[in-house]
Amino acid sequence: METIQFIDLSVSSTIILFLVGFVGGMVSGFIGSGGAFVLTPAMMTMGVPAIVAVASNMAHKFPKALVGAYKRNKYGQVDIKLGVIMGIFAEIGVLIGKNVMVHIRATFGATGTNLYVSFVFVVVLAIVGSIVLRDAIKEKHGEGESDNQEPEELPPLARWVRGLVIPGTMIHFKSIDAKVSFLVLAPLGMATGMLAATIAVGGFIGVPAMMYFLGLPALMASATELVIAFVMGMGGSVLYALEGAVDIRLSMIILAGSLFGIQIGAIGTTYVKDYVVKFVMAAIMLLVLVSRFFYIPGYLSELGQIAPINQDTIRMLNGIGEGSLFFALIFGAIIILRALYSGIRDHHLAQSADKDKDLVAVAEHRQLSPVGRFERFLVASDGSDFSAAAVREAFGMAKKCAAQVHVMSLVATGIEYGGLGEPVLKKELAIAQDHLDSVKQQWNPLGVPCETHVVHGQIVEQEIIGMAEQQQADLIVMGRRGRRGLARMMLGHATANVIGKSNCNVLVVPRTAQIEGRHIVLATDGSRFADNAAVTAGHLANKIKAPVTVVTVVETDSEAGAVTKAEQTVKRIVKYLKNQNVSVEGRTLVGRPDAKIIEVVQEKNADLIMVGSHGLTGLERILVGSTTERILNGTSTAVFVVKGV
Amino acid sequence: MLANKNTARSPGALAYTLLLGIISSTLYLLLYLYSDIMTNIATMIRQGHKGYVVVPIGIALIFSFVHGAFTGRFWDLLGLKAKK
Repeated sequence: METIQFIDLSVSSTIILFLVGFVGGMVSGFIGSGGAFVLTPAMMTMGVPAIVAVASNMAHKFPKALVGAYKRNKYGQVDIKLGVIMGIFAEIGVLIGKNVMVHIRATFGATGTNLYVSFVFVVVLAIVGSIVLRDAIKEKHGEGESDNQEPEELPPLARWVRGLVIPGTMIHFKSIDAKVSFLVLAPLGMATGMLAATIAVGGFIGVPAMMYFLGLPALMASATELVIAFVMGMGGSVLYALEGAVDIRLSMIILAGSLFGIQIGAIGTTYVKDYVVKFVMAAIMLLVLVSRFFYIPGYLSELGQIAPINQDTIRMLNGIGEGSLFFALIFGAIIILRALYSGIRDHHLAQSADKDKDLVAVAEHRQLSPVGRFERFLVASDGSDFSAAAVREAFGMAKKCAAQVHVMSLVATGIEYGGLGEPVLKKELAIAQDHLDSVKQQWNPLGVPCETHVVHGQIVEQEIIGMAEQQQADLIVMGRRGRRGLARMMLGHATANVIGKSNCNVLVVPRTAQIEGRHIVLATDGSRFADNAAVTAGHLANKIKAPVTVVTVVETDSEAGAVTKAEQTVKRIVKYLKNQNVSVEGRTLVGRPDAKIIEVVQEKNADLIMVGSHGLTGLERILVGSTTERILNGTSTAVFVVKGV
Repeated sequence: MLANKNTARSPGALAYTLLLGIISSTLYLLLYLYSDIMTNIATMIRQGHKGYVVVPIGIALIFSFVHGAFTGRFWDLLGLKAKK
């Protein structure tokens, strides 16, 4: 048995590894697949033994999969149970695959594993590369469209698998709302693991297997694959590390470049057509295939499996192999950077056009000051009950305020997109647009002007805030509490971020809340931010014709004189609101602010609470275990957060 | 009752990205300085000291989180954003 050798790392080989990682990451982000089929051969070309290349590649990938899975889970795209079960079977596959590698190394030496890995690469890339190329050609000629129009249809294999009942082995999965025998999952998981252990890309089997055998939507399949990739990647890395095969220096240098590259690649995809992504993917796969193919005769000759080839010929063949790989990387990099360059140029042009649109939007405002302006509302909807409440109240209030409503739907995406992600994104965007069209139609009889917007992005709150800025919204209406979809994303951090970072007011509507104009409770602390809330409450009370109770709560342990100051504050605001012809009364209470405010809300049967806020740091701070959060969590009444200006 | 501190957003984001960048660079500097030890650890694992396996796995996790968080913000800060 040969000992495992780590290569010496000079400055130049470190730079090359970083660049290979960068380009590999870029390609990976662009075509949505692991990129390992570029990185593993590239490391091998640099003289890294196959087993070290695969092991080090795996060690740099599994933490990335963990981060990706965590992010995608926030968007409700991950079936954790399925991922973990498949991951465990994949782990068994990794164990088998690794033992095969170790056995080959023990029997035939490093050349044996190099040959084995190269052979598997050639076969897998030939199959996957041809399928992707066929799809790209079809799509370019417009034939791929028909596939996109039937998102609901279950693949025949999935129908068969779901119909297969083997008593005692059936497991229910939420993502497909069906039971599947684990005896079906076992070979799928194991095949994924074996491939991962051999070429460090298990997703080539895992993603299509979940789509076609289980009927998972591709978006969920690619997200769930990240859990599998983490479980088996972590296990595989430990197994390889136990053999001393993980060269952590290589892993981390590649990681350094790859994480920079993956973002650029992912951004690049948004500037090109789908079929371009697939053409690039197919071209790179086939070039890597050619590259590995030219090494095979040399390995065979070294192992004595074919007649000896003279060293010059082997050198020439290896040279062609290296050249093909180099060309594949450069080709990928040029296409992506070109797409990015032209995309950014177009984007700048579009931005100047947008500026003109902003001016028009501002000019359209009837009221000059943004304080208490109710002319443009933005509401995010995903079709759940929770966002339905937000949509209902947005239209209801818009009717009373003669405002226009912008309804947006968001498709959450990430850099961790699977190779089959782009067509799925298209489907998801089409589904989102259908949903918005139905919302528009449903509320059309109310006569409220309405525009719809479908967006996709990685960070939900950023997209909502961005849209609010773009549309010059005066109010963002958000749903609250949910287990999945947009409502889920809006819990906790996302809600806090939208409230904290947006420049306009935010109305948080719990599922059962209805704003009928019964009573408004205005919570104030006498700050200028609370004064903004008072002005806004005055405007709103007049529009929805609701009486107002102004409440200030002094905490029990406050300094002497705090009650008197609070009473003065309340009097000042009551006086102001009376001048605005609002029916108003004031209360100064002592106790825990949120509890007292909610008591008043219950006593008055109020249907709206208004509070002042001012900015990111402050609000994020108070949202962590303080008054506003407790009010938001402790009431089923809508809460209107007025932003400072 | 309500907090009253007002802070601008962008400088905070820039500082956070820089901080992540500094931590990430420091980690890589340490890896470079101790690269021989990393190679020795792999040798020791091969010689039967299997407990050392936590070192490469731990390094992979820590580097990925820190450097991942940094690069995620890096391009965004330079204005390179996905098209909608």
